Amino acid sequence: MVQQKTQKSANSMFTKEEELLLQDFSRNVSTKSSALFYGNAFIISAIPIWLFWRIHSMDLLSSAVFFVVVTGLSTYLMAMAYKNTKFQLKHKVAVKREEAVTREVMKQLADDKKMTRKEKDERVLWKKNEVADYEATTFAIFYNNAMYLAIVILISFFVLKTSSPAVNYIFSVGLASGLLALFSTSKAA
Amino acid sequence: MAKFLSVGVFALLFAVAFASSCTKPEVSVTSFSTRDATIVSQVAVIAEFTLKCSNPEGIHTSLYAEYNGVVTPVARIGEGQYQISWNEEPKKARSGTVTVRLFDQEGFAAIRKAQRAGDDLSSVKSLVNFDVSQPSAYKGPWVNSELVAAGAAAFVAYFAFSTRSKLLS
Repeated sequence: MVQQKTQKSANSMFTKEEELLLQDFSRNVSTKSSALFYGNAFIISAIPIWLFWRIHSMDLLSSAVFFVVVTGLSTYLMAMAYKNTKFQLKHKVAVKREEAVTREVMKQLADDKKMTRKEKDERVLWKKNEVADYEATTFAIFYNNAMYLAIVILISFFVLKTSSPAVNYIFSVGLASGLLALFSTSKAA
Repeated sequence: MAKFLSVGVFALLFAVAFASSCTKPEVSVTSFSTRDATIVSQVAVIAEFTLKCSNPEGIHTSLYAEYNGVVTPVARIGEGQYQISWNEEPKKARSGTVTVRLFDQEGFAAIRKAQRAGDDLSSVKSLVNFDVSQPSAYKGPWVNSELVAAGAAAFVAYFAFSTRSKLLS
């Protein structure tokens, strides 16, 4: 936290290039991306309600408390998983796409004789950051959603097949989002 | 005199016995069997048939039926109308055509005799036969829908995981 603060206050002292580089490695996400994460996390967390309402025949009104609490918790955990996964991926994606992005931007700027080398590099860096951010964000959402649904289906239909719907709901959704949030913090990958 | 009387009585009894049996029997059958066995514990087959005889009193006879090696009395549900039914466990239920053989009192006695002697029941002559079609009941889909859902989800998750590993490598 302290480190973040110092980083922020010191931000103004960095050059634009350094700022972009920092952004590349930063764990902070923009408001837009954060809204995207929370919106997606909410939708994916609310989907199991349908499963437990229609298929496991839980009553919608009498179980509303479970639904609201578990969905809220799951939304938070999923958003956390998205953020962490995005952070893990972003730099790797940036490295992987660097060459292609450089080629593309250089091609576009080839005619522009006035632009200095430094400016061009900055453009490349900015574009690379944008591409990596976009790809990492979308892939983090896809990856976590796919894993989440697979875990929910596996637990609710096979592992907790015999338990009551309420217990089944709490554990399948809670475990799925909890496991993903936990796995997303791993450093090994 | 006594001899004449006994012959006369025998003749009378024979006539009564003969008259009560159905001659030239004809049956018309309607049948039903369980179509959907997904949530039932037993599959039922029921056949109703109308018996017609050339002698009108013949339809009052009590009937017995033999099907799949089982011998059972036939229920009478109206004038010349009879009903036979049986049930089987869904897993063991046969499908196809079941031949029901009808017997009158005499035939039933012969069947019992054959059963005691351990003979083949098909050797006993029946009054009349009819077929009941028993189509196989629906026992649910080959693959459960949750298995399909789990398979699809696992496939997508595997794709996501392998792509992530590729990106992180």
